[in-house]
Amino acid sequence: MTSSLNEPVRIGVLFSQTGVTSVIETSQRIGTLLAIEEINADGGIGGRELQIVSCDPQSRQSRYRALAEKLIVEDGIRVIAGCYMSSTRKAVIPVLERWNALLLYPTLYEGFEYSRNVFYTGAAPNQNSVQLAEFMTRRFGSRVFMVGSDYVYPYETNRIMSDLVLERGGAKVGEHYLPLDATQADYTAIVKLVRETSPSFIFSTVVGEGTAMLYRAYRDAGLDPARCPIASLTTSEAEVQQMGADLAEGHITSAPYFHNLARDANVRVITALRQRFGEHQVANQCFEAAYFQIHLLADAMRRADPDDPDALLRALPGSEFDAPQGRVRIDEENHHTHLYPRIGRVNARGHFDVLEETRERVRPDPYLVSHTLQDWSMRTALKSSMV
Amino acid sequence: MKTSPSGTSRLLRDLRSLNVVVFHPDDADGQELIAQLRRIGCHVQAFWPPRERLAGEVNLVFLAVRPEVAAFDPAWAKREDAPPLIVVVNYENPTMVESVLRMNALGVVASPVKSFGLLTAIVVARSQVERERERIRYVAKLEQRLASQRKLAKAKTILMQTRAISEDDAYRLIRDQAMTKRVTTEEIADAIIRANDILSFEARPAKDG
Repeated sequence: MTSSLNEPVRIGVLFSQTGVTSVIETSQRIGTLLAIEEINADGGIGGRELQIVSCDPQSRQSRYRALAEKLIVEDGIRVIAGCYMSSTRKAVIPVLERWNALLLYPTLYEGFEYSRNVFYTGAAPNQNSVQLAEFMTRRFGSRVFMVGSDYVYPYETNRIMSDLVLERGGAKVGEHYLPLDATQADYTAIVKLVRETSPSFIFSTVVGEGTAMLYRAYRDAGLDPARCPIASLTTSEAEVQQMGADLAEGHITSAPYFHNLARDANVRVITALRQRFGEHQVANQCFEAAYFQIHLLADAMRRADPDDPDALLRALPGSEFDAPQGRVRIDEENHHTHLYPRIGRVNARGHFDVLEETRERVRPDPYLVSHTLQDWSMRTALKSSMV
Repeated sequence: MKTSPSGTSRLLRDLRSLNVVVFHPDDADGQELIAQLRRIGCHVQAFWPPRERLAGEVNLVFLAVRPEVAAFDPAWAKREDAPPLIVVVNYENPTMVESVLRMNALGVVASPVKSFGLLTAIVVARSQVERERERIRYVAKLEQRLASQRKLAKAKTILMQTRAISEDDAYRLIRDQAMTKRVTTEEIADAIIRANDILSFEARPAKDG
């Protein structure tokens, strides 16, 4: 045994509490803290307390890298939970690989990555984009207008969406990227283009504070979500809370988790979340991934040496947990997570009504270049709780 | 505000249907290479030592360059439709580099093998081999066209000399014949040249002999 028998097991936490993506990253931080408190209340890791060392990268890419290095080198941390935007994860990976530390990344992203040092617990495109394209083209038509923030995730996600829509004989009537610090006027200009091109739906890969501006510009232009809604993979309950339910109502999001799920495991977590962090708290897909990934980690730490990254690298693949969304599993081959794709629509209270969901969890396939809609419709049975 | 075109390239779409043969020892590098190829979605077969024959359709070959295979020179690599070769190197001395050159590798992966970068190496190697084949086809087409032009010029000269007509008239004659007989101008030019050879031989037997 190591000399650290009674010392706490420390985990680095790297979520922005300030800056453009702070709303969603704060909820990921809360998910992390909630899970850690539950684990400690339950005896920790074989009697050892789980402790966090928390940093605020302030939504700035260069700080993620510097702080990850500080956590590893100065604080002796071997496991970090963190990152939201792909660019920040990419910045951290070389540091992880150099020092053999692990990152648990609780965010949907565009795929095409595998680092032995990273575990990806958010949705890959075959777990959210394919389902969204299928739903939107079936319900609203196949003329899509794309708007995104100007960085890597939107480009790749739009490539996938373009292929899926073109495969259905549809058309891309616009594709536009705005800087992360774009203003309300920029979004108003985009929505003007939407009006001119009259698409079947808008596909938004806007993240951060721009999300609210896009939905506001849409509402101000008098467009109707029942006829041409905004479809997104990133507009979660956190963004809806921030902009207000009146702006978001009727719009569509594809995600493996929504606050509203009527599962026992979810009800338990929501109750705990509100008891601990306040009655106003609303969960979202990134919160949930941040929450369950810590439980998966703790489970691996109980089975292996919690201070040895190589032991954890062997223990984590194949592990399962009864998460709020359903029983999730870390894939042995690609370190991504088996999840439950769902389509939700924002209701008047700012929550998502689940319109469709898969019965079986879907295996992550991060290197799937060419997605076909047939794949998804054959692989998974849709619950027809549709209006 | 930026906009971008779309349509994912065939080289990327094809990744899932690739049959890849990996000639690599069963070690950490070999395992990482195979694991990443499988993540990408390729169909992978692995052998060591490398084989002289490739069975079935193979679209890409990875080969670990080791001192013991520096002289490896299989027949399949010399075929015109040989699959692109990506070498995995762990030596960088001139002997090994020269053997990589001799193998006509289209990509290089360095040891220790990392997951990152393999996908790009595969797509670039496949794109190189396609461009190379495209160039070979283009050169062959140009050569053929050049040969045909030479024949036409020669046939025109023959007609101009034997019939005392202008170059334009000679060409028109050839073209009209081609149209009437429904063959190419090249074939008519060929016939004229052959006929002329025979006639000249008969006309000037002593001089040439």
